[in-house]
Amino acid sequence: MDKNQESTFIKLIPFFEKYGILLLILIMVTVLHLLQPDVFLSWRNVTNIFKQVSWQSMLALGVFMVIVTAGIDLSVGSIVMLSLMGLAIASKAGLPWYVVMLVAPAVGFLCGLFNGLGITLLRMPHPFIMTLGTLYIFRGVGNLISGGVPITGFADQIRVIGNGKIKLESILGEGAREYIPTSLILMIVIFFLFWIFLNHTRIGKWIYAIGGNPGAARAAGINVDRILVIVYTLCGFLAGIGGLILAGRTNSAYPNAGLQSELDAIAAVIIGGASFFGGRGTVLGVFAGVMIMGILRNGLNLMNVSVFWQQVLIGSIIILAVYIDVLRRQLSTRN
Amino acid sequence: MKFLIKFVALVTMLFSFSVYAGSHQKTIMLSTKGPGAGNPFWASVEAGAKDAAEEFGVNLVILSPPQESDVMSQVAQIEDQIAKGVDGIAIAPTDPNAVAPILDDAIASGVPVVYIDTNGINEGVTFIGTNNINGAALAAQYICDNVPAGSDVAILQGMITQTTGQHRAEGSNKGLTACGLNIVAELPANWDTAQGMSVTEDIITGNPNIKAIFASNDNMALGAIQALKNADMLDDVVVVGFDANPDAAASVAAGEMSATIAQFSYNMGYMGVENALKLANGESIPDNIDTGTVLVTAENAADFM
Repeated sequence: MDKNQESTFIKLIPFFEKYGILLLILIMVTVLHLLQPDVFLSWRNVTNIFKQVSWQSMLALGVFMVIVTAGIDLSVGSIVMLSLMGLAIASKAGLPWYVVMLVAPAVGFLCGLFNGLGITLLRMPHPFIMTLGTLYIFRGVGNLISGGVPITGFADQIRVIGNGKIKLESILGEGAREYIPTSLILMIVIFFLFWIFLNHTRIGKWIYAIGGNPGAARAAGINVDRILVIVYTLCGFLAGIGGLILAGRTNSAYPNAGLQSELDAIAAVIIGGASFFGGRGTVLGVFAGVMIMGILRNGLNLMNVSVFWQQVLIGSIIILAVYIDVLRRQLSTRN
Repeated sequence: MKFLIKFVALVTMLFSFSVYAGSHQKTIMLSTKGPGAGNPFWASVEAGAKDAAEEFGVNLVILSPPQESDVMSQVAQIEDQIAKGVDGIAIAPTDPNAVAPILDDAIASGVPVVYIDTNGINEGVTFIGTNNINGAALAAQYICDNVPAGSDVAILQGMITQTTGQHRAEGSNKGLTACGLNIVAELPANWDTAQGMSVTEDIITGNPNIKAIFASNDNMALGAIQALKNADMLDDVVVVGFDANPDAAASVAAGEMSATIAQFSYNMGYMGVENALKLANGESIPDNIDTGTVLVTAENAADFM
């Protein structure tokens, strides 16, 4: 290509870097709308997508912060299950609903704290090992306290987070069946709060700093261990909120809850453009990564495509997303 | 670019044609616990459903989670198909408690539901499947007839969190106790061959005089047989499985497994679609529909291979 064209191309790079992933979502939505014109963009289907991704988005956001520090948390799926079991047992014990609701995030918080303290105090060679251990420990404890059987039936107030509907009758007129899921509102609020936390607070900037270069961060006087404990605790806390959402959605604490969802969370973070080596990635990217996986699964379900293909496609998107990233990096270093 | 536009237009047209072509037919969704491609049991459920769909002129949608533990994937598939507008659902619930709210939603929005294979907890929903208590009792009867009274016997349980697992445990326990056998162990091996093997190893170490093992499914029975073979005990122990899958039937024919219980999984798919359609057409159906069980021994094993 000639000089002129090339320079326009290069000018576009930062634009794609920031918004390329949103463009991908736009393309997916357009294609699926063309394929399923009556269904895909219907109110019911769009709210379904948000309901389906809401609990996973909490895990992805937590794992994202961990990955920014160049760490990993494999235990989030088990934290979901343990916090769900904790909530169920509190509910069965007859505690008031507002206490029961606090149990899930509190259990998640403690699990995350356990991870963080384990990684730093026991000087684990890599967070992979600590959280691989707690992946088994938390699920085991969840089965121990519940006896391995599902516990079903929660009060409506407890289920509001995962199952609540904000009716739009007052705006759309009597009899309108459209509603906004409470879990969508919660998701937006939490993502916004964590965007502020990561981009506009000192601790947030330190989190990026220790992921980018831990040695330099230490030299600059940042207490790396303390930041790591905070990050893993917050990650556990968010997984606990994921458990609370799931409690509302399923009305049940079941032994397989959250099984392998840590892999979905990691996939969403990677698709969203975060670097596995730490220091790079955005909250918006995580949200986009979660949505891409949610939209893809929903679209394939609508077209009655076998789940085997869903697995193949999601795997391919992970590799493709990272490969595009690699190419882009090559271009920007060459110029 | 022009090619791309033409291509998208063509695909869109094809899809809209198929929607129009199907608009006068009822659409029934079959949701199993795993894809038929990975499991002969679900493959035969799917075959039954396809035959029923053809016979009754139903548009059949088959969607399943990648594995039985992926409960939320099944929930999402049902949610998506309701949004798309199915007329009825025949479902084998991965976790009856966790899928209950979405099925309540389906019923509330006028989409009738029937359970196949595994019963659920939603009230007033018909269950179409094996009566597992009767099936396990049939297995227990076979053991009673083939070992001396008062012998030591053991039960390998499935996932005891599931109704199927509970019913098979209950039916076998009652049957074996009733004819005066001595149950020395009742342990879960979670439907899994490897676990069935290791649990059996532990049981026979502690109870060398054991005369029979009832395994709540064939996979565990095959694991038990492996453990007994390694201990040179297979000739002295009667092993009875459940499900009559092809591997188990071959093992029965070879004289290793003594017997197994056949479920009519084909009937579950067939009757599931048939009855979901009846409900969609406003007819009423019974609360429980037994798809039946039959004892499989060396005599009839060939029919199941």
